[in-house]
Amino acid sequence: MTERAADWAGRATNRLLLLLACLAIFLPLVLTLYLSVFNEQMIVFPPHGYTLAWYGQIVGKFGGAIWTSLRIALTAVALSLFIGVPAGIGLSRYRFTGRDALGTFLLSPLTIPGIAIGLAIYVLAVWIEERTGIELAGSIRLLIMAHVLITMPWVVRLCLASLTNHERTTEEAAASLGANPLMVLLRVTLPAMRPGIVAAALFAFIVSFENLELNLFLVAPGLTTLPVAVLQYLQYHIDPLVAAVAVAQMVVVGAALLLLDRFVRLGQVL
Amino acid sequence: MKPSPAIAFLGPATCVVALLLVAPLGLLARYSLNKYDPTELMIEAATPANYLRFFTEAFYWDVMRTTIVVALLVTCLCLLLGLPLAYRLARTTSRWKSAMMLVVVLPLFIGSTVRTVGWMILFAQRGVLDSLSVWLFGLHIDLMYTPSAVVIGTLSVNLPFMVLTLQSVFEGIDSRLEEAAQGLGAAPGRAFWKIVWPLALPGVGIAAVLSFILGMNAYATPVLLGGPRFQMMAPLLFWEFNTNNNWPFSAALGFILMATTLLLTTLANVLIPRRYRA
Amino acid sequence: MSAYLRLDGLTKRYDDTLAADGVSLDIALGEMIVLLGPSGCGKTTTLRIIAGFVEASSGTILLEGRPIGDLPAHRRDMGMVFQNYALFPHLSVARNVAFGLEMRRMPRAERDARVAEMLRLVKLDHSGSRLPRHLSGGQQQRVAIARALAIHPKVLLLDEPLSNLDAELRQEVAREIRLLQQDRALTTIMVTHDQQEAMTMADRLVVMRDGRVQQVGRQEDLYERPLTPFVARFIGNSNLIAGDLTNGARFRTAGGTDIRLSGSYAGSGKATIALRPERIGLSAETGGARMQGQVLMSAYMGAVVEHVVMLDAHTQVVTRGPSFGDGATSRFPAGTRVGLTWFGSAECVFDEKDRPMGRVSTIERIESNA
Repeated sequence: MTERAADWAGRATNRLLLLLACLAIFLPLVLTLYLSVFNEQMIVFPPHGYTLAWYGQIVGKFGGAIWTSLRIALTAVALSLFIGVPAGIGLSRYRFTGRDALGTFLLSPLTIPGIAIGLAIYVLAVWIEERTGIELAGSIRLLIMAHVLITMPWVVRLCLASLTNHERTTEEAAASLGANPLMVLLRVTLPAMRPGIVAAALFAFIVSFENLELNLFLVAPGLTTLPVAVLQYLQYHIDPLVAAVAVAQMVVVGAALLLLDRFVRLGQVL
Repeated sequence: MKPSPAIAFLGPATCVVALLLVAPLGLLARYSLNKYDPTELMIEAATPANYLRFFTEAFYWDVMRTTIVVALLVTCLCLLLGLPLAYRLARTTSRWKSAMMLVVVLPLFIGSTVRTVGWMILFAQRGVLDSLSVWLFGLHIDLMYTPSAVVIGTLSVNLPFMVLTLQSVFEGIDSRLEEAAQGLGAAPGRAFWKIVWPLALPGVGIAAVLSFILGMNAYATPVLLGGPRFQMMAPLLFWEFNTNNNWPFSAALGFILMATTLLLTTLANVLIPRRYRA
Repeated sequence: MSAYLRLDGLTKRYDDTLAADGVSLDIALGEMIVLLGPSGCGKTTTLRIIAGFVEASSGTILLEGRPIGDLPAHRRDMGMVFQNYALFPHLSVARNVAFGLEMRRMPRAERDARVAEMLRLVKLDHSGSRLPRHLSGGQQQRVAIARALAIHPKVLLLDEPLSNLDAELRQEVAREIRLLQQDRALTTIMVTHDQQEAMTMADRLVVMRDGRVQQVGRQEDLYERPLTPFVARFIGNSNLIAGDLTNGARFRTAGGTDIRLSGSYAGSGKATIALRPERIGLSAETGGARMQGQVLMSAYMGAVVEHVVMLDAHTQVVTRGPSFGDGATSRFPAGTRVGLTWFGSAECVFDEKDRPMGRVSTIERIESNA
């Protein structure tokens, strides 16, 4: 083969792979959007017409699950910020033996399969319930706690990242100007971290809102999160309604992500 | 350094992980050594029977094998499709770069359940693919509930992740190295394979391991696209727990899954050399 | 009229800015050209267009009379040395140097010989098997040069080659590169923002600003006959005094100080005078001076003494004169009124549009009492 021909073949292959990659990522999203406006009860090609009516039915059918997911996500975000932001500051500020190990420990919920964490938390909840009578399994409290576990590491990670370029000297300057440690924290450190904290909040929200594996074990009748509800629905039928729900979720997450992008470069934190 | 403020900062977070991760996993470890009984459900014991059962029964071997094959296949396809896209993204100077990145990242956050909806539409009976094929060739194509569907679905879930990781790997390689290679007479293709690829290899290895782990732990995609008869590890675990109420065995499955994941991560960290520095 | 390398109207447009704006230049075989200017002036863009890493929006490049603008970088035979050297971190020094030869499929024996020769040339004969990261900055830089020279490039391109070196090393390496370039008659284009470096190394300099070529010429041309106030200040520093010129010879600064020029010029209106600090003489005698002012501060710097003289509220002038003995004789205390004088050729006058104004006659003698 001549150099030209090899060159041409290489470029053609490259183009083809790029096309396939884009198809693999975006085709399902486009199809979901397409189905969500079908004026049909089920998948029929081509459809007889198009309608936006399915979007109107989302709240009726999935409203409860959406509300549950939102409540869990918002509470979990608040709690994980409350716990995770100080942890991020602590990890970046203090030098002590075992600091790296502690960092790994705090981030470890990210590396353990969600399905194992879900099962383990459920099992412990039942164990506690049997011994103390505190109702945990199937309660929203337990769901929130579990979500704090998986959102907090992201908060820690993002706060650490936002502090890597932080000048400790500004804190020293504040202290020498008479600020006590609390004032230094409130007036210098936290404001410097603000973009990171906002990003962490949005990120934690997304992570909580789309989680499936933990919820599988922790939901109860009447207390179902959106991803679980969609999964259960899909196991029996696929229709434009569930596509509309999917699109709605994409819109919510997309909006959060657009906001997030204004605060951090995504490529740097993942 | 005085220890007290550090404890105030780091204590709560440590407690969260200890109480919600370490303690549950500890109890789960204990349960994995218990015995299952159809009526009593769980009997206290200290037996490796659950682990032995997994490693001796052909059915579970098959599930493990399917899981590994799917994860491996998905990872290879992810590399094949992800490399060109990631490289293109890393080296583009277009002003739309951040918008393109955002579009690639977006699916990453939508959740595998929702993303599977699209593939179900494509693969379903009388779905897009089927209808097209009937219209063009008069033939029915039924990919729903096949391993191929699972592989394609999982590929779609993992690919944005792969692209993002690889993109940052390529981003970390100075583009002037390629220019230097080209200035010395290497065509762009050769510059890539001779200079960029060897430097990217450690990062590519880590991306591959992460994709493999993600594929092994997949739940929604195999359940929805593989159907009830297609078994992979994560759905099997939930099925043993939910349908059979066999807690000890599902606990053992959880640990086998975790051990595989941890083993792979550690291996990756040990075997893959640190990146060369200029 | 046959230049070895000819740049003709090279322009590079990014969105709405012009990184290079009509850069034209003829370069002779074996000549060392230095592109000089502040950051963002377009010098690096121009170099990258020549190397083929950036495609010009318009304009042509002719190498030995043939257009090369459409050739991809890897077919141009240009040896480029990057600012950060861009050594391949996973290849040994020798493999780095051999890379271009491998790309040209040079036979093994010949290649090894060439690599050895190049390493000897840059005095790294014994470091061939080491990895770049184990070398010092200066050694890395020599590897980069050896790698670029190994392919026997038609043109050697140097992008700020000295900027990552220690100050002491810089002068030495600058001379080494210059000797090597002259010895091998390498046609070379170097980019730098350091005028000292440029003066040391160039056959001809090209001063650039905002994507445009301000002036091309030998060191003497640029220093003695700058074509714009920018060149006057960028090469060797000049005081720039803004004011009004009337009748071609009377100059008054914006702050109201009168200056007696050493020549008369064709034209009048807003103008700028450029005066080199070392060409201005100071004396306590104010009567016969070209202008007067009050010493604001002085500094004894060893070889020279510097004075800052305030002419008026808006205008200050720096002067630099040789120090004599203990300095007391050549140093005026702050507050002293002094007269400033210079010889005819020391002043350059530019019109409103920063074009040099033609000198009509020279008034060398100054009458003691005006």
